[in-house]
Amino acid sequence: MPRRRDEEEDMEDDDYEDQYDEEEEEDDRSSRKRRRSDFIDDAAEEDDDEEEDDDEDEDYGGGGGGGGKRPKPKKRGSQFFDLEAQVCMLLFPRKVSQNSEKTNFDGSHFLAFSYFLVLVKKVSLAVIDFIVDGGADIPDDDDGRRMHRRPLLSREDEQEDVEALERRIQARYARSSHTEYDEETTDVEQQALLPSVRDPKLWMVKCAIGREREAAVCLMQKCIDRGPEMQIRSAVALDHLKNYIYVEADKEAHVKEACKGLRNIYSQKVMLVPIREMTDVLSVESKAIDLSRDTWVRMKIGNYKGDLAKVVDVDNVRQRVTVKLIPRIDLQALANKLEGREVAKKKPFVPPPRFMNVDEARELHIRVERRRDQMTGDYFENIGGMLFKDGFLYKTVSMKSISTQNIKPTFDELEKFRSPGENGENDIASLSTLFANRKKGHFMKGDAVIVIKGDLKNLKGWVEKVDEENVHIRPEIKGLPKTLAVNQKELCKYFEPGNHVKVVSGTQEGATGMVVKVEQHVLIILSDTTKEHIRVFADDVVESSEVTTGITKIGDYELHDLVLLDSNSFGVIIRVESEAFQVLKGVPDRPEVALVKLREIKCKLEKKSNVQDKNKNTVSVKDVVRILEGSCKGKQGPVEHIFRGILFIYDRHHLEHAGFICAKATSCVVVGGSRANGGRNGDAYSRFDNLRTPPRIPQSPRRFPRGGPPVDYGGRHRGGRGRHDALIGATVKIRQGPDKGCKGRVLEVKGQSVRVELEARMKVVTGKSLVIWENFFDRSIISDNVEVSTPYRDAPRYGMGSETPMHPSRTPLHPYMTPMRDAGATPIHDGMRTPMRDRAWNPYTPMSPPRDNWEDGNPASWGTSPQYQPGSPPSRAYEAPTPGSGWANTPGGNYSEAGTPRDSSSGYANAPSPYLPSTPGGQPMTPNSASYLPGTPGGQPMTPGTGGLDVMSPAIGSDNEGPWLMPDILVKVHRPGEDSVGVIREVLPDGSYKVILGSSGNGETITSVANEIEIVPPRKNDKIKIMGGAQRGATGKLIGVDGTDGIVKVDDTLDVKILDMVILAKLAQP
Amino acid sequence: MFFHIVLERNMQLHPRHFGRNLREHLVSKLMKDVEGTCSGRHGFVVAITGVDSIGKGLIRDGTGFVTFPVKYQCVVFRPFKGEILEAVVTMVNKMGFFAEAGPVQIFVSNHLIPDDMEFQSGDMPNYTTSDGSVKIQKDSEVRLKIIGTRVDATEIFCIGTIKDDFLGVINDPTAV
Repeated sequence: MPRRRDEEEDMEDDDYEDQYDEEEEEDDRSSRKRRRSDFIDDAAEEDDDEEEDDDEDEDYGGGGGGGGKRPKPKKRGSQFFDLEAQVCMLLFPRKVSQNSEKTNFDGSHFLAFSYFLVLVKKVSLAVIDFIVDGGADIPDDDDGRRMHRRPLLSREDEQEDVEALERRIQARYARSSHTEYDEETTDVEQQALLPSVRDPKLWMVKCAIGREREAAVCLMQKCIDRGPEMQIRSAVALDHLKNYIYVEADKEAHVKEACKGLRNIYSQKVMLVPIREMTDVLSVESKAIDLSRDTWVRMKIGNYKGDLAKVVDVDNVRQRVTVKLIPRIDLQALANKLEGREVAKKKPFVPPPRFMNVDEARELHIRVERRRDQMTGDYFENIGGMLFKDGFLYKTVSMKSISTQNIKPTFDELEKFRSPGENGENDIASLSTLFANRKKGHFMKGDAVIVIKGDLKNLKGWVEKVDEENVHIRPEIKGLPKTLAVNQKELCKYFEPGNHVKVVSGTQEGATGMVVKVEQHVLIILSDTTKEHIRVFADDVVESSEVTTGITKIGDYELHDLVLLDSNSFGVIIRVESEAFQVLKGVPDRPEVALVKLREIKCKLEKKSNVQDKNKNTVSVKDVVRILEGSCKGKQGPVEHIFRGILFIYDRHHLEHAGFICAKATSCVVVGGSRANGGRNGDAYSRFDNLRTPPRIPQSPRRFPRGGPPVDYGGRHRGGRGRHDALIGATVKIRQGPDKGCKGRVLEVKGQSVRVELEARMKVVTGKSLVIWENFFDRSIISDNVEVSTPYRDAPRYGMGSETPMHPSRTPLHPYMTPMRDAGATPIHDGMRTPMRDRAWNPYTPMSPPRDNWEDGNPASWGTSPQYQPGSPPSRAYEAPTPGSGWANTPGGNYSEAGTPRDSSSGYANAPSPYLPSTPGGQPMTPNSASYLPGTPGGQPMTPGTGGLDVMSPAIGSDNEGPWLMPDILVKVHRPGEDSVGVIREVLPDGSYKVILGSSGNGETITSVANEIEIVPPRKNDKIKIMGGAQRGATGKLIGVDGTDGIVKVDDTLDVKILDMVILAKLAQP
Repeated sequence: MFFHIVLERNMQLHPRHFGRNLREHLVSKLMKDVEGTCSGRHGFVVAITGVDSIGKGLIRDGTGFVTFPVKYQCVVFRPFKGEILEAVVTMVNKMGFFAEAGPVQIFVSNHLIPDDMEFQSGDMPNYTTSDGSVKIQKDSEVRLKIIGTRVDATEIFCIGTIKDDFLGVINDPTAV
């Protein structure tokens, strides 16, 4: 009999057999029953001496009692029958599962356990205890059983027919199972059942692979045969554990003794299972997965590994399922095999899935039998033992060789499965089964759902509450209870066209869009970003107002990045797929899209560069251009990337390639740049091209030329734009408002407003461009900038420059670093605070109407004005001693070298000079050196301590114009070796001064340059001359001093004025 | 749908505009700033029809800017779900067509185009009925129903359908 059993075991083991098991279920079952009953009979027969309970126990009692541990021999007898009853349970697996939901023993499992008593309880280890204690804990049950046992045993000799015996066992078992299992076991009781040190141990013994069950059964047989000699108590073979069986015994020696002579068991090494792990050995995984027809599953092994399959039949008893698959059969190989020809040993590849074509098979002379299945009545084509129907392969496999959890068929797979014969409804039905195995936490309160199964099918509602399995929904239709509890498997999310949703799982995860169409459980979504249709399962989607693209980044590369693919190809990432990018290549003639893997990308191109458009206007990133030639003619949009003369333009209205268009720079024009302008500017650029500093420096002066010289108003708008792109990426500091003082990076410039990403707060703010300043390395300058409150009218001084007010100053700054230092910090600050200087920084320029005013005050006009002439020359004189003279005396050329665009503005270039030369005290060594501060051409005149008399006509300049050294004022002349007081007699055309030494103007006459001269500050009651402002040139009397202000009585008008001391100089006594 | 509503806005005015024409400056700036913008709540501001009141200006510390609360009447356009609109087709592709109703862009998916209309690719892509009597192509005028809207900061995007009674082409440029 054991042999027979072994055969069966083998068959059970063969999970992968391809043969369709034609054996009828019924037959199989009954035959097995018979076998089992035989066993019971056998056992009973062997049990000839029923009077001797003890002997009986020795023979069969629950795992060979023998040990002195058992106090009540009779109990052991009952155990044996427990075993019997348990074995009988095999015959009625349904009942078992009814009684215990948590554990799901299958028939085959029980066979392996056949010698082992398994109680189907929450913790299976209770079983062991039960055996050991022989149910002593539950005397009532025991009594109940014993009552039945007696008659059973007494009749054993009567050779009662098998069926009757079975019936009796069933009846008895049914009852006892009720008394025994239906009572609630508490955790505490369960704890008490856990094995302790006094209990027999579990030993792990190695056995032949694949012979685990056989080994266990052999042990059992041995126990039956040898009786009391065997001192082991039980043997367990677990399905999931290969190569080992467990033996329960008190001592290792007992195990070894029992295993002696069994060829399947290698008892050299016997390992003890720690007590703590004993429970795990017999715990049964509770995966209560009900496989039903039409469920989607995946194959776990073999050629079909990973393939989607559909369950067509389930045999719960034999743990087998019949699935429908798309065959992967190489017909040629099959034909060869069937004809006995040479077959390649190892298949080099797995044939692709393809529907079986019977005619094709016949052509290859493969015998195709058409047979009717006895069970279903369907016809199958039988080819070489495989069954086909409608091109699908029907295959019976073990439940263990399929995975049922979390099956997410893709649409492609489902499409393939939809054979022409199948109608739509069938498809939907199977779709609904897709959701059977979804993960928990799927529904959330507020979700709109629809019932897809059961009486309430098609009822819509909203989720109110989610329990473990059940979802409480508030039905849409009135007249129903407020909430209904529905099993979550019967629910599906429900969407309506127009809903804005986000895909939360599946291949399209992360995408958002609007529902365009609802086809049962499938939604068609119009993606927000790609404007393409996406098909998704309703289950994978949640309602959301968010707009995203899904994943936008792999590795270092992000959507819309410009990347280098190889030495001569590059492109923009227009789409990020799960493992690859779609790249629009930089081929201007036609859109060329390549699918590129991460590793194929060489690097990201972040270099910012400029190119010239068709009209030689400079194009930078973010400039809006219009395409004039090619397939995308007429399109227009901002430039996103520039590389090798190729522009990548983003057109929001362009739907292909994520809105990106690739075009040659020369076939585009900058929107807003005119031709005429272009020509002129073009020249200017060409002049500047070689002077350009590397474009990556954010404060690079190149934007200045783009802005055009201050006189070039035509270029204004371009300057504005130029500034924008140049400002992008620059680090700035915010000057005003709530975020004042914060540093950040410019993200975008739009008109007057700038979006800045703040470093400190991780947020993006929008601000007027005028409230931010580019961050300088020199803190003092920043603070200076912050303090500035700008007189408006002078703004245009920088013309275009105002847009990047700091820039011009940058370059010149450096030459002057030294003098600044020498001069010491304090005076510099003084200088900086002067209102004059501020004007230079006034950012409001380009649009400001007062520009005309500026023309008046334009240094350029001074430069050309005759009155001014006398003042100019001294600048040269000034140059010599100044470390920064290079700049001071500069012709435009020098400026351009420095990278400053000033050279383009002659007026501006000269601007500093008129001030400087005439400053008597303007030496670098003096505090006045502040006046040389780059970019503050007008800075010094107001500097405290600077004084001078004016030779020029007071008409020049406005109120704000600084003090000029003038004839007749008393000055100090610093000369090597001596300092002396003198009176300026004349301002020479070369910018130097003729000074007569001596306080009364009667000494030696010398020629001196501005930086050798320092104004003598007047004291109270001194006669003074006003060197700046409207009253310039006038004389008067200082009648009082109030801080930095002097109270002056002007001689001509006898008016009393309050003037800054800075512009007052002591008049030499005649 | 169009609405005539009163909105309020704080306008910041540069000091240079202070003077006799302050009000004019303020109104012209308001128009420049507001007309054509889009807010999720009110939709597109089509036009300002009048200024109800200009409140007292408040000088902002540090800038010299003055903030005026301005109440103005304006016409706004906001598309609603279920609304029927007439729109001009701007682009046709195999997924459907885009149409514009003023500032609003509407997409009509091919799933929402009657089944008897088929996409015809070519120089002038279009959707045509099997008998060729009705054709949707660029510049066609269609009547459609909005079934969904998505409101961004700067635009409103809608999806529409013409798969319903009385919807579809109302004026075919090629027929004229």
